[in-house]
Amino acid sequence: MALFQVSGLKSFAELREQILPARQTHLFDRTNHYNFGTKTQEFAVPLGVDPSGFLGTCSRDGGVSIDLNHGTTTLAFKFRHGVIVAVDSRASAGRYLASNDVNKVIEINPYLLGTMSGSAADCQYWERLLAKECRLYRLRSNHRISVAAASKLLCNMMLGYRGMGLSMGSMICGWDKEGPGLYYVDDRGTRLSGRMFSTGCGSSYAYGVVDSGYREDMAVEEAYELGRRGIAHATHRDAYSGGAVNMYHMQQDGWIKVCKDDVSELIHRYRKGMF
Amino acid sequence: VLIRPASSQESVLQPPCGPAGLPPAASQTVPLPFPMSHGTTTLAFLFQGGVLAAADTRSSCSGLVACPASQKIRPIHSHLVGTTSGTSADCALWKRILSRELRLYQLRHGRRLSTSGAGGGASADLGGTSGGLQKASPSSSGPGLWYVCSDGTRLRGSLFSVGSGSPYAYSILDQGVRWGLTVEEATSVAREAVYRAAHRDAWSGNCVDVYHVTSKGWTRRKREDLKEEYYREKGRQGR
Repeated sequence: MALFQVSGLKSFAELREQILPARQTHLFDRTNHYNFGTKTQEFAVPLGVDPSGFLGTCSRDGGVSIDLNHGTTTLAFKFRHGVIVAVDSRASAGRYLASNDVNKVIEINPYLLGTMSGSAADCQYWERLLAKECRLYRLRSNHRISVAAASKLLCNMMLGYRGMGLSMGSMICGWDKEGPGLYYVDDRGTRLSGRMFSTGCGSSYAYGVVDSGYREDMAVEEAYELGRRGIAHATHRDAYSGGAVNMYHMQQDGWIKVCKDDVSELIHRYRKGMF
Repeated sequence: VLIRPASSQESVLQPPCGPAGLPPAASQTVPLPFPMSHGTTTLAFLFQGGVLAAADTRSSCSGLVACPASQKIRPIHSHLVGTTSGTSADCALWKRILSRELRLYQLRHGRRLSTSGAGGGASADLGGTSGGLQKASPSSSGPGLWYVCSDGTRLRGSLFSVGSGSPYAYSILDQGVRWGLTVEEATSVAREAVYRAAHRDAWSGNCVDVYHVTSKGWTRRKREDLKEEYYREKGRQGR
């Protein structure tokens, strides 16, 4: 345009070409999770490395055996007075018990919680990254991110690295303008909204108990007891779950940490009178 | 594995012996011709009123429900009941063989073989099959419950659940089973456990069978469709 040429201003595209070499569109070597990989290749993996192939060799019998941490039980359910989140606290590496006192709930912000199951490293890294993105969203747009959007962000991060050996099963719980929110997100990119989820190898034991005792109009104390029972019975039967029950209650004005009860004491209490 | 006729006063169901009285080395595992599909929920537990056994009634073959009304708890004799899980064909065959052997024992010795003996016999016989059996009965020494598996495992206990739906059932049983339960309470715990397992496990479902074994023999509850239980619960919840 005439004004453009007279003023001697260069267009942004021309300027950018002078600063950056051809085809590089980012000034920083950082993946931008809001574009969701639509404009540029966004995998932060060095060229030539094949993560899933490498991990395959690590689990061969007789060779180097890296057992990923998979054992856990986590559960969450929505009810009239919010969302209850209950997790165990055991980290296992194959047959070795790495720790009995791990916190598997990440407090993203006072209105969002994320649970972790699967590979401990993957969960911790990606959920912290999610926490960072939620904070940036809050600063940029001046309102808190919704639970649906936060879970979508995590889901898209997982989709970006699908097939590369990530292992994560997480539940994003929160309370936003729509009310209580509960989403299940896993390493394959599954994202489901629901009323009740349980993840980890002890999840089937927890499902039985929670299905049996669940009512939408439960009192708050009843819901706490149901969450405690679910984890306690799962840790009783599953070798890879144990430690203590960490329980959170997501209310309208934020989450509160309800309790951290030792599982062996709970089971002793529940199974009194059994042979 | 051969079952040799009794030539002495010892138990008729003895595995064939090699040199020095040791059992012969197990044969090579035969590779399966096609992937076997088995899924089920069966459970049994002891309480003051005897033994209670319950199971679902779905026979599945991968994704197909081959039979929605199969019988997974088969009486072996008037005081012995066995639950089956695993491959239906194997379970049916070995159950019949076991019934035959126990009947022969009873005729020869004038008394019934105890549960532990029956369990021992069954484990000796189950050479290369797949599946688990539970045997429940009150014998002269009171009620007994054994878990028998195709790899020869034989465990005595007071509460077992076998099958793909067993984790879901286990937690309900752990919650609800006590020695001092009445028969009605025990039945409702067993039904609830099978219902929850059928709800979550794809390979369990349809109906539930409950058998109660006492010193007077076994009694069978009328088969109940779990679909009705589901709608009843849905109505209660008002969803």
